[in-house]
Amino acid sequence: MSVLFAAAESDFDPQHEFILEEWIPLHLGPLDLSVNKAVAYIWLGGLLTILLGIWLMRFGLSLRPDRRQTTGEAIYEAVQEQIAESSIPSKALHIWFPYVASLFLFIWVLNIVGFVPLPISNDKFDAFGVELPTLGIYAATANLSVTLALALLTFGATHVEGIRYNGVVRYFKSWIPEGAPKPLLALIVPLEVISQFMRLISLSVRLFANMLAGHMLILVMLGLIFIFSAWWLVPFSVGFGLVIYLFEVGIVVTIQAFVFALLSGIYIGAAIEPEH
Amino acid sequence: MDILLAQTTDAGLADLGKAIAFGVGVGLGAVGAGIGIGNIFGSMIQAVARQPELRGELTGIQWLGFALTEAVVFYALLGGLLAFVLV
Repeated sequence: MSVLFAAAESDFDPQHEFILEEWIPLHLGPLDLSVNKAVAYIWLGGLLTILLGIWLMRFGLSLRPDRRQTTGEAIYEAVQEQIAESSIPSKALHIWFPYVASLFLFIWVLNIVGFVPLPISNDKFDAFGVELPTLGIYAATANLSVTLALALLTFGATHVEGIRYNGVVRYFKSWIPEGAPKPLLALIVPLEVISQFMRLISLSVRLFANMLAGHMLILVMLGLIFIFSAWWLVPFSVGFGLVIYLFEVGIVVTIQAFVFALLSGIYIGAAIEPEH
Repeated sequence: MDILLAQTTDAGLADLGKAIAFGVGVGLGAVGAGIGIGNIFGSMIQAVARQPELRGELTGIQWLGFALTEAVVFYALLGGLLAFVLV
């Protein structure tokens, strides 16, 4: 890709959008806690998630629901039936339904915010003497650190709950399939341990790569105009960009949030009741 | 095309090769994911045609399968990008 772009006359770089500059440097020893674009997007996403929850569920509820309450109840019901009850055993539902539900809402909001052009950007432009940030699309979930942190929450919760409900010995025994012949254990045990860590990787990379690829595709489609500096490309690239944008906003955003929450529920549920 | 043909130096040719390998690799990854996604939706249509009352239960499973399959192409993309950057 960089060949094409480096050779292009203009300096179009889609990966430039994903470079995180330190806005407020914050270093704690080896830890880099600086505030950058991804952090700003997470804060915004968290705030919007809280506001969405309060707006949908927390006031003016009545027996004859209006449209706002119907929407809230539909989301609640979908999460309860499709995600929580199908994956988590009923004895742990009261603890882990709130977790998967907020995971779903939070990731959904982070994803959808990523497709709204917002003035949160490294680049500035000059408007009547005032420096304003340019509009850009960027999703916090298009950053591996963010999705890995979310996946680590699930990973930690899985093993803590597995040990809490089953005890250390029974939980780790449940990793090994019953009736496996003794000589094969040397092969099975490392495989099972690796597969636990593969879950962590697949859970985080799936969300990260989906969002990154969606943003990249839109940027590259629009960037074709600048690479070839040809005006006749405008209808094609804007048209294709729009199609991809609608696909991302309409399907991918919700599906990825749904799958992340569902898989978290399945992993936690399987740890609580290993026989399932 | 002029842009591609302008790369006549050795380094330029190596970059060109990497770009082509990356494109072909991700494309082959997409073939597998495409077949898998087609299978999932095809089976879903058959299942709902036979037992329409199961649609609600099947929808969740269908989207889970879709996302798991679709993720495969992104592993190819990520692997390709890693190879592209590191080599």
